[in-house]
Amino acid sequence: MITNAKMTMRDREFALIAGLLAISAVLMYVFPSFAVENSAGQIDWVTLPLVAFPIIAGSVLMAFASMQPYRLKERIGQPIKLISLAFGLMMLGISSGLLFGWLESINWDLSQYNRYELEFEYAWMQSIGVSWHVGLDGLSFSMVWLTTVLIPIVMITTWEEKMGWYHHPLILMMGGALIGVFVALDFFMFYVFWELTLVPMFFLILKWGGDDRRYAAQKFFIYTFSGSLVMLLGIITLYFLQPSSQALIDQGVLTGRTFDMTQMAIGAQAAANADIAWLGINMQKALFLTFLLGFLVKLPAVPFHTWLPDAHVQAPTAGSMLLAGVMLKMGGYGLFRVCATLFPEALLEYQWLLLTIGMVSLVYGSFVCLGQTNLKRLVAFSSVSHMGIILLGIATMEPLGFAGAIFMMFAHGIISPLLFAVAGAFKHHYHTLEIGSMRGMAKHSPWLATFMMFGWMASLGLPLLAGFVAEITVLIAFWKAFGWWVILPGITLMVTAAYYIWSMQKTIFEGGDAGEMPESLGGKPAPDISMWEVSGMMLLAMLTVLFGVLPWIFFDMMTGYAFGLFDGILLNVIGGGA
Amino acid sequence: MSSAGVLEVAEVTRVQLFSEGGDTWLALAPEVTLLSGLVLLFIVPNLGDAKWRIPLTQVRFPVLFGGRRFTATSDPRLPAMLAIATLLLALWQALISQGADAKTWLLTSGSGAEANILLRVDAFSRIFEIMFYAALLLAAVASIDRLPARRAGSDIQQLIDNRRQVDFYLLLLMTAFGMSIVTMSMDLFVLFIGLEIASLSIYVLVAFHKETPEGAEGGVKYFIVGAVSSAVALYGISLLYLWNGNLQLLSNSATGQIGLVERWSEMESLVGLPLIAFCFVLVGFAFKVSAAPFHFAAPDAYSGASSTVAGILATASKAMGFIGLIRILVMLAAPADGSAVWMFGLGVIAVVTMTWGNLAALSSSNPKRMLAYSSIAHAGYMLAALAALGAWAWGGENDVLNSAPTDAGQWILTALIFHLVVLVAFKLGAFLVLALLETEGEVSDTAPLAGLARRDPIVAVSMFIFMLALAGVPPLAGFMSKFLLISGVVKMSAGDAFAAIAAGDGWSLGQMHWTFWLALAVFLNSALSLFYYLRIGVIMFFEVPSEGRRKPLNKAWFLRLSIWACAIGTVIFGVWSDHLINLCHNAALAVL
Repeated sequence: MITNAKMTMRDREFALIAGLLAISAVLMYVFPSFAVENSAGQIDWVTLPLVAFPIIAGSVLMAFASMQPYRLKERIGQPIKLISLAFGLMMLGISSGLLFGWLESINWDLSQYNRYELEFEYAWMQSIGVSWHVGLDGLSFSMVWLTTVLIPIVMITTWEEKMGWYHHPLILMMGGALIGVFVALDFFMFYVFWELTLVPMFFLILKWGGDDRRYAAQKFFIYTFSGSLVMLLGIITLYFLQPSSQALIDQGVLTGRTFDMTQMAIGAQAAANADIAWLGINMQKALFLTFLLGFLVKLPAVPFHTWLPDAHVQAPTAGSMLLAGVMLKMGGYGLFRVCATLFPEALLEYQWLLLTIGMVSLVYGSFVCLGQTNLKRLVAFSSVSHMGIILLGIATMEPLGFAGAIFMMFAHGIISPLLFAVAGAFKHHYHTLEIGSMRGMAKHSPWLATFMMFGWMASLGLPLLAGFVAEITVLIAFWKAFGWWVILPGITLMVTAAYYIWSMQKTIFEGGDAGEMPESLGGKPAPDISMWEVSGMMLLAMLTVLFGVLPWIFFDMMTGYAFGLFDGILLNVIGGGA
Repeated sequence: MSSAGVLEVAEVTRVQLFSEGGDTWLALAPEVTLLSGLVLLFIVPNLGDAKWRIPLTQVRFPVLFGGRRFTATSDPRLPAMLAIATLLLALWQALISQGADAKTWLLTSGSGAEANILLRVDAFSRIFEIMFYAALLLAAVASIDRLPARRAGSDIQQLIDNRRQVDFYLLLLMTAFGMSIVTMSMDLFVLFIGLEIASLSIYVLVAFHKETPEGAEGGVKYFIVGAVSSAVALYGISLLYLWNGNLQLLSNSATGQIGLVERWSEMESLVGLPLIAFCFVLVGFAFKVSAAPFHFAAPDAYSGASSTVAGILATASKAMGFIGLIRILVMLAAPADGSAVWMFGLGVIAVVTMTWGNLAALSSSNPKRMLAYSSIAHAGYMLAALAALGAWAWGGENDVLNSAPTDAGQWILTALIFHLVVLVAFKLGAFLVLALLETEGEVSDTAPLAGLARRDPIVAVSMFIFMLALAGVPPLAGFMSKFLLISGVVKMSAGDAFAAIAAGDGWSLGQMHWTFWLALAVFLNSALSLFYYLRIGVIMFFEVPSEGRRKPLNKAWFLRLSIWACAIGTVIFGVWSDHLINLCHNAALAVL
């Protein structure tokens, strides 16, 4: 660092950051005055601050970084990372403000079928009936909050990643695209963001991944893209299945139809109230299956899971954290938002299918874990088995099971990033992921060992941690629905405990006082994890405890959503019961 | 469908070609501009200080033609500037005539009601004019850097260079002129003339780099195959003349002449002569769009030609072929009375074309050949949409024919036109990136692309955008067009089934028309094509540039300008294509 009377580089950095923060503070302060208000008097906190800003800011930052000569990149890297983090914190601030009622007084627990808070609709591509339609309910808001809390944490954990001037803006873009998926109430918009999330993740894997990243990135992209193409066929069919309306033709929509999910939900609800299957049961089943395929690939459930281990093992820490934390949840989210909301009859018809796939995912994932020696593959397959629990929760067709499944998505979204942060740090500091290759980590890397143990415990479902709440809720609902069959998932969860404890024992404790270093270190002393990684993991661990002890912060709104869905449409279909 | 080819005279203006009054010039304003540009290109670069001495005197008159050329007129950039100005003016004229109050003109060969209708200027012809001029304008701008100007050497070398510059831009303008005639023609003979004006210019453009073996090979191959297919088409047209006695598409009630459209629809059952003629004409256009059995010359032509010209082949020339197909398939052999004869054959050709194109692209390591095959695959997607159009009256009366704005046929044709228009952005853009790489040497394998992201991030990102658009990834223009195409096919194949379902009836897959499988074929091929499009992205962002390619790319600013325009267009038409869809819809209405 050159120090002289003039401003040093660091001074300039801080001046730049302070200036930008001040500008964004002013922007946020004046934002309510120019933001659009909807009929409920709410301000559009979603479109610009949560979706557009991160994507635009990410692209601008990357374009700016790409124009600098290489020797300057190290210097601008720090401010670019800080600006990305500032945007991430801004998003977290907004979603928390919505959660705690600082920005709008919204009672998230009161949820009804097809009712959305912060609902905004703007004309987008009028000629084919596409609108920019956003809205939040208990389901999507919990996912949005999860995304916004993960973005800064991921940035902090991977602060020292190489080429941070591209890395952090990509994470920011990823956040915007993910939130776009969760807030979309228009099928076209939903699909656009659904695919848009692939691009930043593709680059994260391709540029920062492991040795085999080239193959993994392409496989990830092609596999999930092909899966969603089938979903696109379903969207097109659903679009043309609607009656053409003269009112829309007069507005300039060439076909007189829209991609609006809420309009379709109205039709579905009316049909359910009249006790007929919306669109006819055959068509509903066909559509259900096309959407289900897209969602199961993303989730992923067992026959379609093969992209996940490759993507996870090769992905960098940030990629794995976001992939497991939020991207997999897109599948579960879609099952609720589309399959349960629009195709209740088909959902009931295919209850057995969801049950089977969920059970197979759970069992298969667990047993594959037992045989894994690669730490990241182990965590990846444990994700597959946890996603099976989500399918089981849906298959119960109980409000409690639904709420448990959504909370599973949420809890897994907190815990699995912690697991992948640990695995990533492991790889980073020991240059290996083999479980047997090193022992006695508690001695030479106490911090990493602590977080590993915490994360593993949380993931196997230790009470008072977030994962337990989700698992026990799903099991109760499962018992309510299928009686003593609950033993099956119960036993499988024990297998989960077995592989976690086994891998922990091998890595953390065995090996005596000195421990055993992996050969890949080449005899050098093992470093403990950095301050950045400790902070990121600490935050995740705190959130795990928080939502294990006080689950109702989100659990209430999920229960509200599940009951809203049931009262709105599913009860009519199931008939009586529940 | 305008009732079987009989003309509604109400909304159109009939004008006798080259009659008194300015109507011809108003209707043909872009073409007149192009012709003036051509004349200027002939004259201006040849202006010099030549003088003519009156015999037996000392008096010399400056004749300005020949001699030592002036500094301004000998500037090698001059032809490019003239061509760009001409194309810009023509584009502007085509754009402003595209409003809500756009007139439809019928240009006739004589006066009064008896005259034959030769050209029709309507929304359809205008949108394609815009598309052609935009494509050629981008190519013209890009070529400023592509063709070496001011090569060191003698004056005569500079002169030859200058001549080649003039040749290149003359041919570009000639192509634009021919293509405009094709879009407007209402008479198969005029259409053929336009086709040949454009084709002959393109043959020369393809062979422009005749010094290299690839250039010569590509040019000769393309010329021979193109000439043969044109001859076949001409033979087909002559047979149609034998059958009908004239070559007009529309009937003329005043003279009692029956046009081809009406004559075709009057056929009780298929007659051998017109059917054979029809097939011959199809062959000619199938070559232009590089459909499956006639595509063999395309990869060689693309890789032999300079990338800019290959881009024109893949966009403007292909669109010209599709205009011909639309005229022949949608207007002439219109399937108003049932499913069309050509539907099944075209469907098979479409599937074979797209699959062949994609599989061949997968295994080609030359990026130009890969793009050529990808362009064949795209032709397959569009042919699939055209084939689905054949299921016109399949759905019955309820939903397809009566409720005009929901018409699946209009939707498909809109999607087709939209696809052809936005193809200019991402297809030509991809070729222009290759043209930029060509400024530092041959592009015959992926080595020049390797590590492009490190050498020039913006160009690499543009190329990746083009690749994703070609693969159909949202929110880019390529996704919009493929989305519209597929949804049109699905709508068409569902026909009445959807209306029945909405009424509460059951549904099974057997209720769908077989064209539904074309939509599935497009889906599968899109997934397949992702392999090689992504591969380009991976090569650019993952691999390390080879030795000797570490320095930043050439600063070819005009070429870059064109690339940026294409990249911006690709994004804009993906996220905000509302206006363009409406324009394409108007164009589709003008044909149906």
